[in-house]
Amino acid sequence: MGRILALAIVLTLAATVAHGQDRPPTPAATPGADPLIGQQIFTNLCGFCHQDGGRVAGRGPRLAGTDRPDEYILNRIRVGKEGAMPAYGRAFSDVQLRSLIAYIRGLKDEGR
Amino acid sequence: MTTQRRAMYLVGLAMVATLVGACSMSTSDTGTPRAAMAEPGGGNDWTTYHGTYESWHYSPLTQINADNVKRLRVAWVHHPGRSTRGLQSMPLVSNGVLYYTGSYSRVWAIDAATGTPLWSYFPKLNDDLVAAQTHSPYTRGIALGHGKVFVGTVDGRLIAIDQKTGQPAWDTKLINSEKLTVGFTGAPLLVKDKVIIGAQGGEWPGRGPIFGVDAASGRKAWEFITVAGTDEAMKTWGGDSWRTGGGGGWMAGGYDAETNTVWWGTGNPAPLYDWAGSDWKTAGPRPGDNLYTTSVIALDPDTGKLKFYHQELPHDAWDFDSAVGEFVMIDRGGQKLVVHPNKGGHVFVYNRADAKIVNVWPLVQNINFVKGIDPKTGALIGRRDMALGKHTNLCPAIAGGMSWNSGAYSPKTGLYYKIGQEWCMDLEVVKTTPVLEPQAQLNIGANFTLRNPEGGKAFGHVSGRDPVTGQKKWEVKFTEPPLASLLATGGNLVFVPDARGWLHAYNAETGQELWSHNNGLGHNGGIISYSAKGKQYIAVATGWGSLVGDEFGALFGEPFKSMPKDAGALVVFTLE
Repeated sequence: MGRILALAIVLTLAATVAHGQDRPPTPAATPGADPLIGQQIFTNLCGFCHQDGGRVAGRGPRLAGTDRPDEYILNRIRVGKEGAMPAYGRAFSDVQLRSLIAYIRGLKDEGR
Repeated sequence: MTTQRRAMYLVGLAMVATLVGACSMSTSDTGTPRAAMAEPGGGNDWTTYHGTYESWHYSPLTQINADNVKRLRVAWVHHPGRSTRGLQSMPLVSNGVLYYTGSYSRVWAIDAATGTPLWSYFPKLNDDLVAAQTHSPYTRGIALGHGKVFVGTVDGRLIAIDQKTGQPAWDTKLINSEKLTVGFTGAPLLVKDKVIIGAQGGEWPGRGPIFGVDAASGRKAWEFITVAGTDEAMKTWGGDSWRTGGGGGWMAGGYDAETNTVWWGTGNPAPLYDWAGSDWKTAGPRPGDNLYTTSVIALDPDTGKLKFYHQELPHDAWDFDSAVGEFVMIDRGGQKLVVHPNKGGHVFVYNRADAKIVNVWPLVQNINFVKGIDPKTGALIGRRDMALGKHTNLCPAIAGGMSWNSGAYSPKTGLYYKIGQEWCMDLEVVKTTPVLEPQAQLNIGANFTLRNPEGGKAFGHVSGRDPVTGQKKWEVKFTEPPLASLLATGGNLVFVPDARGWLHAYNAETGQELWSHNNGLGHNGGIISYSAKGKQYIAVATGWGSLVGDEFGALFGEPFKSMPKDAGALVVFTLE
């Protein structure tokens, strides 16, 4: 039973890897993820609502110092929130998404 | 008469009869706005987004007036449901039927006297695309005529619905929204046999088209591209920046029937903020004037050909569209004029024949993106072009000195009523990766934070002014800028739906408040007046949650912090 379960997990993982961007994000560091890339993307898109580069609340919430886990933030970026935040799942690669996380985690929480 | 001649005679007679029939249909049975629009106010009906082609947002009705407005009470309410981002639309009325649209381009026909729904039409939209859009899923209005209701969708379609049955007549895909992410949120404008509608654009890297569509068949008749749409305009975009220049024309324009000219305002260029600073003519992501962004353009409605234009802000580096703002057409001292507010806080007054500047005047106090605008030429004086790095106290803020909601003009008082927004922002301009191809991404180019103006708090105001000189006759201040359109009436009234949810009626001559009512939700849409079965009504959209309104929670706190952004209702008033 345990072997069958392990085999199923391996097959599932292989299938999701084969689908490229559809692969569920993993907490492990993604090769190529770069906070500077994340900053560029953030400025052009996310900063429209998350003000001062995500340091203060505006249309969107403050992201500096957020206690939301990476997986939560990644999911929110991918699928959005109706009427509040667009779904960027088809706009970004996994490296870009991870770079956004790296940028957000690097924001200094100044409590503003 | 030979047989052949007789046959031709009969065919000709039949054609004349058909034309006569069509004309009578267009003015009675179907409420086509052609005839009504030629008369200021349109009488009992409200048949186009801006009230009439003159864009006065004025009803000549006088049953509700300054003497009896205290007796105004709710007559009926309609809840559209799924009011994601509130209810931003302007209702229309024709022959006792009210038509309006809610979020997701859902359309209703309602008995205008009783509030009884007659039909509804909910188009099936591309849900994945709607979820991916920033400026979505609201729809700001419809057009009426030729027996149809016309509505745009955020997934790039223009739909015609039979005015009597509610059944779709045609459904035309105009934009590849799946690639560009933009669609239609603004109301179409019907001019003769063409339905004219402009796409979103601005911060989205595309070329912002405006379309003319045959009202009968749904066939696209013409397309005017607001970014480098002519050889002249192409020269104003350095390198390949024209490919992703933004633009668009996301609000309904006006129509000058005397010269057969459509006036339309265009959106800002992308990216919004330009790291080239004062070197913008030769450097940066979009070197040059960037025609025809942030411009007013005059188009031939039959062909879509450009007649003339004026670029209100050459190389707009602040996101101060000309797409916002009605085209108020007035005659003054023998001059035929158009008054057009720009998002940056100035009001431009043009000669209607050629868009030559007659005057430019500031409506808001907090403006420092320019030192001024030459009232004789329209030239910007002392531009504040911001290079890479941090900048403080840019005024107005990105939300503008004026927003897309419309002001009103009363021919009785000769005053123009308009909302002003007083706020500023700090920003950091960033040199981002160039966006070289149209794609599903915003292109902003800066981080920013809205803030209070120096020495005071952010606030709003509504004033009654001379539309040509800007001379102020009265002003009412609001703790937060109202974000809805205004209505002036022949009853010497100006209605102001405010951000907190109160609907106010003021004396149009003096600004004295005469009546108010709490609708319980912020207003961020339209307001009209009409008559049905002998009674005058005022209809206003309530419902909060636009991109500008979303700023209010952080800036002003309650009641906006907890105000629902997924609710809305059409509230209709009459005298008790």
